[in-house]
Amino acid sequence: MRIVCPFCGERELGEFTCLGDAKPVRPAAGASADEVFDYVYLRDNVAGETSEHWYHGGGCRAWLKITRNTLTHEISSVEPAAGVGAAKVGA
Amino acid sequence: MAEFSWLPRSPLEHALVAGAYGARDVEPGIALTEIRNFDLVQIMARRGRWADLANAAKARFGVSAPDTPKAVSASDVTLIWSGPDQFLALSKGGKHTMETLSQAFSQSASLSDQSHARALISVTGAQARTMLAKLSSIDLHPAVFPIGAAAATSMDHTSVNLWRGNDRPDGQAVFNLLVFATFAESLWHTMLDAAAEYGVDIGHSEEFA
Ligand SMILES: [Zn+2]
Repeated sequence: MRIVCPFCGERELGEFTCLGDAKPVRPAAGASADEVFDYVYLRDNVAGETSEHWYHGGGCRAWLKITRNTLTHEISSVEPAAGVGAAKVGA
Repeated sequence: MAEFSWLPRSPLEHALVAGAYGARDVEPGIALTEIRNFDLVQIMARRGRWADLANAAKARFGVSAPDTPKAVSASDVTLIWSGPDQFLALSKGGKHTMETLSQAFSQSASLSDQSHARALISVTGAQARTMLAKLSSIDLHPAVFPIGAAAATSMDHTSVNLWRGNDRPDGQAVFNLLVFATFAESLWHTMLDAAAEYGVDIGHSEEFA
């Protein structure tokens, strides 16, 4: 499997680490215990397209947001995660 | 009070043995040269300040800072792309150090001294690409990795900054590698293993290739 880093170009999988689901959003301070439990522990087991955070630690050390199909491993989009490569994403 | 003596030493001081290595009775296909005593500063734009950093770099170095994977050389410094909105400034002789650069980039970037945190290895010779192909997944064919091309990548699970310098006078391509000091010995041994079959000429130098 290869991933096209928006900064480095096409690279082998071994240069990347998968953090996991990019969807969970940290609950506001004062959120209920259930909401926090959901944020920390509960994940959808998606069969199909999913959004994930990956880290290009063996390369440019940028965080990336990757859309991957869990059934085929096809990657349909790779973009810088928010705050990475400020000039590129305008964050 | 205790007396300290800070003596800069190469991370390859023990591992590097100058001279011939590997296959004998052949013209060495690989030359491995460690470059010692350099100044290396990591320059990272503060959030949203890349344009300011680029302007400051142009004014300070006289060349445009790399914003894609490449190495840009001026007369006395090489700027090596190391990631989005960041690059390394490699030089010798104290011209571009933390002390001399901090003022120029005080508004736009954060600086970090890497001079003694990395080892710099230069790889050249007729078999340089063949040998590096054992360790790297980067395509080093001249058509896609010309002079000035650079990559932040991994070799033998070790992060490196790899770039192609100017060719040697005899026309051989030169590949430069910056590796973390504590990983340098490990990568050095791996490179020797990969290069042995071609015959290796090992050395170290105070000058850039
Ligand atoms: Zn990358």
